[in-house]
Amino acid sequence: MSAIALSPATAHYRAAFERLRPQLGGTAARRVAAMERFAELGFPGAREEAWKYTSLRRLESRRFVPAAPTTKPVDVPAAFVAQRLVLANGSPVGVVPASLGGFTLGTLTTAPEDQLLRSLVGGGTERFAALNAALTLGPLLLSTATGQQSDDVLQLTLVTTGTGPTLASPRIAVRMAPASRARLLLDHVDDGAHEHFPYAVLDIELAAGAHLTLYRLQRQGERAFHIERMEVRVGDHATFVMRDSQLGAALARLDTNVSLDGRAAATEITGVFLADGSRHLDSHIHVDHRAIETTSLQDYRGIAANKGRGVFNGKAIVHEGAQKSNARQVNRNLLLTPGAEIDTKPDLEIYADDVQCSHGTTTGQLDPNALFYLRSRGLSEPEARSALTRAFAGAVMARVDEPTLARHVHDELDRRLVRLLEVAA
Amino acid sequence: MLSIRDLHAQIGVRKILKGVNLEVKPGEVHAIMGPNGSGKSTLASVLAGRAGYEVTKGTAHYLGDDLLALEPEERARRGVFLAFQYPVEIPGVNNAYLLKAALNAVRKQRGLPDLDAFEFLALIKDKMKLMQMDESFLSRGVNEGFSGGEKKRNEILQMSVLEPTLALLDETDSGLDIDALRVVATGVNSLRSPERAIVMVTHYQRLLDYIEPDFVHVLSDGRILRTGDKSLALELEKRGYDWVKQEASAA
Repeated sequence: MSAIALSPATAHYRAAFERLRPQLGGTAARRVAAMERFAELGFPGAREEAWKYTSLRRLESRRFVPAAPTTKPVDVPAAFVAQRLVLANGSPVGVVPASLGGFTLGTLTTAPEDQLLRSLVGGGTERFAALNAALTLGPLLLSTATGQQSDDVLQLTLVTTGTGPTLASPRIAVRMAPASRARLLLDHVDDGAHEHFPYAVLDIELAAGAHLTLYRLQRQGERAFHIERMEVRVGDHATFVMRDSQLGAALARLDTNVSLDGRAAATEITGVFLADGSRHLDSHIHVDHRAIETTSLQDYRGIAANKGRGVFNGKAIVHEGAQKSNARQVNRNLLLTPGAEIDTKPDLEIYADDVQCSHGTTTGQLDPNALFYLRSRGLSEPEARSALTRAFAGAVMARVDEPTLARHVHDELDRRLVRLLEVAA
Repeated sequence: MLSIRDLHAQIGVRKILKGVNLEVKPGEVHAIMGPNGSGKSTLASVLAGRAGYEVTKGTAHYLGDDLLALEPEERARRGVFLAFQYPVEIPGVNNAYLLKAALNAVRKQRGLPDLDAFEFLALIKDKMKLMQMDESFLSRGVNEGFSGGEKKRNEILQMSVLEPTLALLDETDSGLDIDALRVVATGVNSLRSPERAIVMVTHYQRLLDYIEPDFVHVLSDGRILRTGDKSLALELEKRGYDWVKQEASAA
């Protein structure tokens, strides 16, 4: 073990790791190395740029207990689609089938460890990716076969549960074979019983011509601290699509890093977030255009109310040689009540000359003319505000082409908006 | 029905209405004409409850109630309807939703139950035919991507669905070609009834060829300078507004 001075929190997690080690699968040396990397990086300091708008002091002050393997039954909300697998604290519940919802499934006993526990380097969340690699219980490999086309949706419900504040480390690797097509729905929930700290890692690769749509719903309880890192590599003529809905947790941070490696690789990352109550939602997107004719779209709509705070940090880098690339960034935000806050930072870096890039960001309130128009037709002020707010999110929600999920998000937005607008009126 | 007495209103420090008096009875159609900047649209806005106008003096009573004390939605529910000069585009809120929510708000006020989807569709299909509007419009965003004429037709469609007691038409003829003007006028005329009053604000006499008013008022510099019947409108068309102002200042 190294001789660096550890913060009390870091020391706590290292000691917990030592106790848990005998129960963790995979090569011990790999787990230890990951833990050492976390210990080295520690929790982010106040001056770290990647954490400028999101303080983890509250998170650091807690002593979460890393989840141990368990066979206890767990309650989760009903599935949106026919094919679902539940992961409790990152560990699959029940027997993992050989295939489900268009994917072949692998675990540490059936799939290569270097695919499942690969280290993810760089960025503000490397430390947590390392912690996750040390502690994850049941990393899962989802893969497709060459040319395999599926219209099914595989839902993964990631639930955090425990008798006290629990650290969960779910880890999913996705390997899309050439010319394959699949859809995945990631549903983050918890038991709401304690402050939990789920830290999720998704490590995704798309080979040439592959197409993956990832629907994401973050609807954890009011006390959850959630951090997630999504690492995506996109090959020749492959497309990665994400439809994100962030509705829950006390504090949530999502880092989406997409590397467009192959010619004409494409990505579309769209989402909505609702930072109401005292919720803090932070989205960092980083897209690297590394090859010619690559395209990216980032489009997030944020709604903040009460003491809620939203952070959007979207970055696109068009590297040298990535000619004829197209990068678009949009971030529109709505402040519904006084006291809410949005920090948005679109960022384009361009090192090629024949490219099309644009970014637009707005933060404002509902259009008073539209509000008056609806009220002059007899709608109450809360009804009018709610209709306009839904319309605001609707532009991005229209892209969610999984109807059951879309309806759930719409209903949840409606329910919460009417409640908070009635209180505000 | 509508009784306006010595109404003064301003935006910021700019005084716009400077003592408007107007009596409107059930069944009547009034046209308020006047040059640009005379305060016509301000009058319509103040009556509908648009924010940003300060009433500094005077009163407006509607069916005996203090109209100016009511929120815009309360005015609408009690039967006041403003057809906007510039109908607002609201992408993402569809026309069917707005029409249904508006209609049910009015029905609730009248002690009637909500219409279900089937009854609602049956009701609006006829009205849409009258306004020569395609059914596909129901699923589109409110006024989204509509031409000027479509927007005005949509205003009159809403009006015919809501069946207001007092309809205020703010420059409904502006930006309309002759065919669209005919459709709009047919819609308005179909709503003329002994219980309903219509107040039209317009710059041109043209609209009055299609919707015949009982009274014509000339509003200039925030006051009604002259009131007559439809022949006054024809005279204005020929002679302009200046002679009215000159006669008023001479008097």
